[in-house]
Amino acid sequence: MAEPPKLRVLMVSDFFFPNFGGVENHIYYLSQCLLKLGHKVVVMTHAYGNRSGVRYMTGGLKVYYVPWRPFVMQTTFPTVYGTLPIVRTILRREKITVVHGHQAFSTLCHEALMHARTMGYKVVFTDHSLYGFADVGSIHMNKVLQFSLADIDQAICVSHTSKENTVLRSGLSPAKVFMIPNAVDTAMFKPASVRPSTDIITIVVISRLVYRKGADLLVEVIPEVCRLYPNVRFVVGGDGPKHVRLEEMREKHSLQDRVEMLGAVPHSRVRSVLVTGHIFLNSSLTEAFCIAILEAASCGLLTVSTRVGGVPEACPLHGSQVLPDDMVVLAEPDPDDMVRAIEKAISILPSINPEEMHNRMKKLYSWQDVAKRTEIVYDRALKCSNRSLLERLSRFLSCGAWAGKLFCMVMILDYLLWQLLQLLQPDEDIEEAPDIRLCHHRGVEVSEGLKEEDKVRNG
Amino acid sequence: MEKNLAGDSIPRPKWRKVAYGGMQIGYDDNYTDESFLEEMVMNANVVRRDLLKVMKDSVSISQYLCIVALVVLVWVHTLESSLDENSLLLLDLSLLASGFLILLLTEEKMLSLSLLLRYLLNISFFTTGLYILAPIYQTLTRSISSDSIWAVTVSLLLLHLFLHDYSGSTIRAPGALKTPNLISCISVNASIVASVFVASRLPSRLHVFAVMLFSLQVFLFAPLVTYCIKKFNFGLHLLFSFALMGLTLYSIYALHRLFFLVFLLLVLLVNVVCPYWLIRMQEYKFEINGPWDEAKLCFDITD
Repeated sequence: MAEPPKLRVLMVSDFFFPNFGGVENHIYYLSQCLLKLGHKVVVMTHAYGNRSGVRYMTGGLKVYYVPWRPFVMQTTFPTVYGTLPIVRTILRREKITVVHGHQAFSTLCHEALMHARTMGYKVVFTDHSLYGFADVGSIHMNKVLQFSLADIDQAICVSHTSKENTVLRSGLSPAKVFMIPNAVDTAMFKPASVRPSTDIITIVVISRLVYRKGADLLVEVIPEVCRLYPNVRFVVGGDGPKHVRLEEMREKHSLQDRVEMLGAVPHSRVRSVLVTGHIFLNSSLTEAFCIAILEAASCGLLTVSTRVGGVPEACPLHGSQVLPDDMVVLAEPDPDDMVRAIEKAISILPSINPEEMHNRMKKLYSWQDVAKRTEIVYDRALKCSNRSLLERLSRFLSCGAWAGKLFCMVMILDYLLWQLLQLLQPDEDIEEAPDIRLCHHRGVEVSEGLKEEDKVRNG
Repeated sequence: MEKNLAGDSIPRPKWRKVAYGGMQIGYDDNYTDESFLEEMVMNANVVRRDLLKVMKDSVSISQYLCIVALVVLVWVHTLESSLDENSLLLLDLSLLASGFLILLLTEEKMLSLSLLLRYLLNISFFTTGLYILAPIYQTLTRSISSDSIWAVTVSLLLLHLFLHDYSGSTIRAPGALKTPNLISCISVNASIVASVFVASRLPSRLHVFAVMLFSLQVFLFAPLVTYCIKKFNFGLHLLFSFALMGLTLYSIYALHRLFFLVFLLLVLLVNVVCPYWLIRMQEYKFEINGPWDEAKLCFDITD
């Protein structure tokens, strides 16, 4: 019989497979690596379509798809107390010790963190995105974050810029915020066995075609680059509201044969699109940590990116003193500067060796490393002293003149509801789930597991 | 870990602000460097406002308040039958003529004869249409009680004032580039519905026609005229505004003492108290910018 799991972690977020994106990937890979380190990991998310109830994924990763319908942008409707019973049941059933919430605009995550704190569990929060301070949306979002993080044990951010942002937004002490970046599954993103010929240079763009991802920059940059370099062609993967603008641009400049629009690219096909190109172009206007760049670099593509958010920290830069060669050419988010950066990238393209770049990425990023670093954060969280309700309330009270009192009311009501639930269904009445360890999976690479999962999803 | 390294003779490597390459040797993940928040910029784009300037700008608001108050006064006098239809029509005509004159005088380039003819044709179409529709307006809300009509009219006017575009004009001069936004269109429509409701309580068709024409002229074109005056000469704009304020205050005084007091307080609030308040609140302004901000595009997006 295997030794009992060291830590019992519940990952909570609105964003999980079958939805696709950076957060979903992060949770999945982190969970897989934590499972391999001998911890127990359970994921809680909302139901996707008819995928509701408990599912098992690769490596015995248990996923609770809570029957709670998404409201806007895949987040659940904020009911504040609606999720208390199910969160309590899951925490008890799985004998959880640490609750780990992901993503600042996941309402499910905020609610679960609040209930977990009320019940005295240790909570960790990972922030995956950047927010400004000026517009109405951000101001409200930041207040919610402040409430959610007021009494948190430890927080994680995906880049140093994101850490600065989170500290400013939530007023947390910087010592409580850890910087643990995302990683890339280098085994899944290998360069092509035969490198495409450099007679025709292919520039790949894979992003959702929305304003925040800089689709408008692409509209300006692509015709200019095509005019300067007759041997350049573009492959644009992704869909979104700005798709029409790109199509218009293509027609206006008669670039139908040089700009290929692929539409939405499923994650399992991203690698096959990436390996057809030489240069990866990222035009985001804001980015906490760009996984797409890592995936491209892992496939051996030279990246041209806008200098926004956490991007400059993510990869060794061109001309950096620390490493002799380069992986990313940065530009200001301005069409002229981006065209110059692409020119520069094309000029240094012959010196790029995809295999070498792939091997370097292997050393720079791995999910195992991320999991080990997250483990340290969990240990720190467990060492935090338990606080009484009164101590915790005083923290909420300091959140603001009106907001502080409101937050206190919310927490008191949550506590009372929890007490009521304990009367209706005592803790002892909740059945505990047995721990299932899938030992034969322990040797299997995580990436292969994901491929299997992909097959199931696409099939 | 840090202690061990500090004891070693080898100095620990310098911390770098990078995310790659795993945990940096000698530094925990929650290490906070001195460079933390170095790139934060505070209050970079704050505009220091000056009280006199804000007060001058607020005159536009009180001017429009006066215009709406004058319209309401005309409505009240018509409903009380102290203003007959002939003087109303005369008022319409003189307003139309003076409005045209102001537009002509403040315009940089002279209007051509053909454009003038086109305007006259449009106006005649408009008035004819309104004249034909007047009987419908008159009986439009017969089945609704007067109390509801007054209540709805007041709320619509408040909505109109709340959403009104005080900085420009919803009705643009021909050839203007920017199209009005949704909010100001809602505002204009609210005022028109309010005028229809009031007109439906009048005794004769001619009354309805005259009041509707008057209200539409003011609500649609007064912002354009005042905007043109303001653009032409700011001193003239102030003069015009103060003249309007005087006229309004006098007319309200003649009607009702309490309303006069309320309106006077309102004008003072808009022109003196609110600007002072805004300036006082400036010191609480706290703006944070940094590398986490969304980049702004330096070119216009035309969808």
